[in-house]
Amino acid sequence: MIKTAQDIKSYKKKLKEALEDEFLRKALDTFSTVYRENRPTVYQGIDFDGIKEEIAAGKDATLSHLTELFEEFKTNAEAAGAKVHVAKDAREANEIISAIAKENNVKKIIKSKSMTAEETSLNDHLEMDGFIVTETDLGEWIIQLRHEGPSHMVMPAIHLSRYQVGDLFEGVTQKKLDPENIDKLVKVAREVLRPAYLEADMGISGANFAIAESGALGLVTNEGNMRLVTTLPRVHVALVGYDKLIPDLKSMLKILKVLPRNATGQAITSYVTFIKGATECGSSPTDRKDMHIVFLDNGRLALAKDPVFSEALRCIRCGACANVCPIYSKVGGHKYGHVYIGAIGLILTLFYHGKENDRAIVRNCINCQACSSVCPVDIDLPYLIKKTYRAVLDQEGKTPAKNFFLSKVMKNRRLFHFILRRAYLAQKSFAGKEPMIRHLPLFFEKEHGYRSLPLIAKTPFRDKWMQLHTKVIHPKHNIALFCGCAIDFIYPEQGKALLDILKGHDVQVEFPMDQTCCGLPALMASEEETAKEVARQNLKAMDSANCDYILTLCASCGSHLKHNYLKVFKDDPNAPANLKAFTDKIIDFSSFMTNVLSVSSKEYKETREKVAYHSPCHLCRGLGVTHEPRKLIEIAGYEYVPSKDEDVCCGFGGSYSIDFPEISSEILKKKLDNVEKTDARILVTDCPGCILQLRGGMDKRCSKIQVKHIAEIISEVKK
Amino acid sequence: MQNPDLIKQMQEKAEAVQAIVSKIVCLEDAFQYIVDLTKAQGGQTVVAAGLAAKEQDLLKKQCKTADLTLLDFPLRPHADKIHTALTPVDWGIAETGTLVLDSTSEDIRIATMLAETHVAVLPASKIKPDSVSLEKELNAVLKTDAPIYYAFITGASRTADIERVLAVGVHGPKELHILIMEENNA
Repeated sequence: MIKTAQDIKSYKKKLKEALEDEFLRKALDTFSTVYRENRPTVYQGIDFDGIKEEIAAGKDATLSHLTELFEEFKTNAEAAGAKVHVAKDAREANEIISAIAKENNVKKIIKSKSMTAEETSLNDHLEMDGFIVTETDLGEWIIQLRHEGPSHMVMPAIHLSRYQVGDLFEGVTQKKLDPENIDKLVKVAREVLRPAYLEADMGISGANFAIAESGALGLVTNEGNMRLVTTLPRVHVALVGYDKLIPDLKSMLKILKVLPRNATGQAITSYVTFIKGATECGSSPTDRKDMHIVFLDNGRLALAKDPVFSEALRCIRCGACANVCPIYSKVGGHKYGHVYIGAIGLILTLFYHGKENDRAIVRNCINCQACSSVCPVDIDLPYLIKKTYRAVLDQEGKTPAKNFFLSKVMKNRRLFHFILRRAYLAQKSFAGKEPMIRHLPLFFEKEHGYRSLPLIAKTPFRDKWMQLHTKVIHPKHNIALFCGCAIDFIYPEQGKALLDILKGHDVQVEFPMDQTCCGLPALMASEEETAKEVARQNLKAMDSANCDYILTLCASCGSHLKHNYLKVFKDDPNAPANLKAFTDKIIDFSSFMTNVLSVSSKEYKETREKVAYHSPCHLCRGLGVTHEPRKLIEIAGYEYVPSKDEDVCCGFGGSYSIDFPEISSEILKKKLDNVEKTDARILVTDCPGCILQLRGGMDKRCSKIQVKHIAEIISEVKK
Repeated sequence: MQNPDLIKQMQEKAEAVQAIVSKIVCLEDAFQYIVDLTKAQGGQTVVAAGLAAKEQDLLKKQCKTADLTLLDFPLRPHADKIHTALTPVDWGIAETGTLVLDSTSEDIRIATMLAETHVAVLPASKIKPDSVSLEKELNAVLKTDAPIYYAFITGASRTADIERVLAVGVHGPKELHILIMEENNA
């Protein structure tokens, strides 16, 4: 029986348990590293971006006429002797399957892996009705023996060690087993389950595809158990979600190019099976299989019509969103989903298992976009997770204090900036004379103490602007600086570094004073209305500067301005007219330096100082900029020293690091460990949020490594 | 048409997923192969599914001489006793080293699913470059009103469900042997 925390307090308790589970931590950490390292090899020669767009478009077209496809499938499947059923919800699906079993005098049932059956808790229902149910997929059998739910959509027992499996199997066989010999453990399943296939009266499977044009099911498997489950017993029931309908074989073959690659790093699984109709079956009195297909709605048909959430139904259950998630790699399966695990699980849980099961887990997304970058059907997972949280809040009629504050304060720039200025005064009492806040005031819990915090600047960047501003007589480029709250109020020196660098390049820089927070924190708190309002204010503010580029020193602001502004105004008839022109002008610092100014090494003193680089999530995935910062480091005469997992999140995530400090600190720890393994003495990045996290962490561990914005190290070596 | 590049790719991709690939020139070679293999593995029983009656008789004799039993149809009563299974396959897919086999006949299914070792005979002329180039043939099979059980088989059965360690031979065959038959080259 799956039990998911229904409030944040008990969720935190479960997270703590997971973080203390050393095997789990190590297993998931290795898994996520290996998965990411192997991925380029697995996709060699395949245009992943091209094919994912094609599949996503195909899936969207399918979702708009699921009922027609269902009718087509039904006609074709029934012509070949299958019986097609429809279940409106989980309970009805379970009842239909139980009734089929009763009609056929079934006693023993064998099952192959089906996430849909996990969704409906089918086994519990069938066992309650007196049937003996045996799972045959190795991972599913293991978790069935342990009375658990799956911890991963593809590898359901990834949370268990060989020793735990060994103990479990010793209990089953009553024989001593060597847990070091995994091959032998696997053979235990083979030997113990063989008789179960032969004795079973009914086999239950899921399906990966329901092909409308032929009425055939497509199944993608590795162990060979599904083939036995669908062959040996006299009755076969396939439980299939409506979202598995596809128009034709061509669509299936296309998805088959990415599904195994994304799921397990295989070019293809051991078995891909097509099953249509009532095939020959020697154990049936009629010599024909009694073949049933149960289509499960459980909210899918309504979801398919939802303008925002229908995208979630594109999911082909590859599990990759969990594989690359830095949070999943720390707390793992059962704590990162309900039945469906990983980023997609945080979304689907609301629709399939209700707000109670989603309200705590849905908050646990850091928005690093690692999941969406590997999603083979191009689901905008982090965005939908925030939308899902909003839906949970709306259903519950709740406004958390943070949301109340954000919506009240952020819409009013003057009030917002007033509060930031007051914070400078307030912090004095606990910062003392130190350059950072190293001991938090007592009202913070001790989990927050993993990093030192920066001080709010005495004079924000905007107040220095009049002195810093210079007029360029014949500018080659006109840019507007969008500086973001962190640089404006915490790190104004980073903004100043930019101005120093640009001197002599004939660049006219403007700083529109009415610019305010980009709005990302509001969107992250699911306050989309607030995000929209500040977007309007920024669009208006920046419009006043007649510029070719809007330059940001903050990757998070940059990617939010460029992509999320389009999202929040999507389908809005009152979207600002200059929206597209605005987003087209957004550029990050390194791209501007290398691609627009084409700076050369002659401008910089060659120091050959060793520099490690942290690639901010919102730069490498958000803005797709990976090459330019590394190139710029080299142009400026530094030696770029690669470190492990450069493009993995630092654990900041804005307010995420305040909401989930226990996870944020673990992600940070790994990042800093990786950097400290290099011989670099400087760690550079291009996002002030990451700097806050990384510098605070390095300070806490008294490291000699300095953390700097890329603009700072460039200005330091300018001739 | 036998394309040497496709044959080479088929072999490499199949070997990459632990299939054991050999070349033969006629079906008799396959019979000798399966008899030798079964003896070497200490097995006693052989099944063949998808052969012509004459070929089946020939294999039966060969098995008998070697002191092996070729199990009779239907195979279901022997389901738990099959050591080696020999089946011709319909197509090969070079891109992934995949075998394509119409498994609608229950005997073919039982042979290929329950045997300890599966030996497949793939005519070299039936190797296609990728799955998309088989779409027409596949659709011709799938779009009739007859019941169908069709299989893509790539390597032996496998799992990584315990600590992500690859283990070959779970519920399906523990070994897959592919005999690529290069006709007319004899």
